[in-house]
Amino acid sequence: MSASPPQDQAGASAGTVGTPADFLKGVIGKRVVVRLTSGVDYQGLLSCLDGYMNIALEQTEEYVDGAVVNRYGDAFIRGNNVLYISAMESI
Amino acid sequence: MADLSAQVQEPFDLVRLSLSERVFVKLKGERSLVGVLHAYDGHMNMIMSDVEETILLVEPEEEVNGAGTVQTVKRQLEMLFVRGDSVILVSPGAR
Amino acid sequence: MLIFSVFKTLTDQVVTVELKNDLCITGTLKSVDQFLNIRLDKISVVDPERYPHMMAVKNCFIRGSVVRYVQIPATAVDTQLLEDATRREHASTHKR
Repeated sequence: MSASPPQDQAGASAGTVGTPADFLKGVIGKRVVVRLTSGVDYQGLLSCLDGYMNIALEQTEEYVDGAVVNRYGDAFIRGNNVLYISAMESI
Repeated sequence: MADLSAQVQEPFDLVRLSLSERVFVKLKGERSLVGVLHAYDGHMNMIMSDVEETILLVEPEEEVNGAGTVQTVKRQLEMLFVRGDSVILVSPGAR
Repeated sequence: MLIFSVFKTLTDQVVTVELKNDLCITGTLKSVDQFLNIRLDKISVVDPERYPHMMAVKNCFIRGSVVRYVQIPATAVDTQLLEDATRREHASTHKR
């Protein structure tokens, strides 16, 4: 009972604390990896996203098993397919 | 392409800007479409014309070292409704 | 709602519905509802060799969620009208 919650002292650097919504706000305009439930990755510049996790990416590269298989200037990804969004630069 | 980010405030804006343009659509089940987009809704249901569908058939026979034979089948469809729940990705600009 | 309206204008047209299990059924579109459930009349199966059990069936109800595609006669739709209606629906559902 005496232990203080770890997040009070850890993760002091900006961007590592905050709600999921804060993350999603902060990641707009950044380079990201979007992993789909199928295992396919999309790496690109995140233009915007909505509440369903529909995503618009620019300069998108499609990775299957770690290799680029396709490039898209712009891409709309339907949100239901998204497993996670990972920021490739600090937010 | 630089001004595009200014116009795209939300993901569906990207799709709206592709109306009457050729788009590439990646679907579940190793299928993809290239065709002209005429209508869509919030589910990503779409109506497209002059569509070429490509289906990737992976023969399961001997999948040693991922050497399963891959075969593509193409077909042409003049006007097509696509149910949104099959859609994975939509990209403006043909290919 | 927009796509529902489009399908309503397609009643009595001959369409081919492709299901997610690859079954293709051609028939006359008799009715559609808001879920895009579809009723077809005078149906025939595109590949009867593969689906012989459908031979005796004359009409059917298809649950919207099992549909992959519906092939529509190109002459039955006004593409300019579709695009304008889509822009209008987009404007109303996505404020601004």
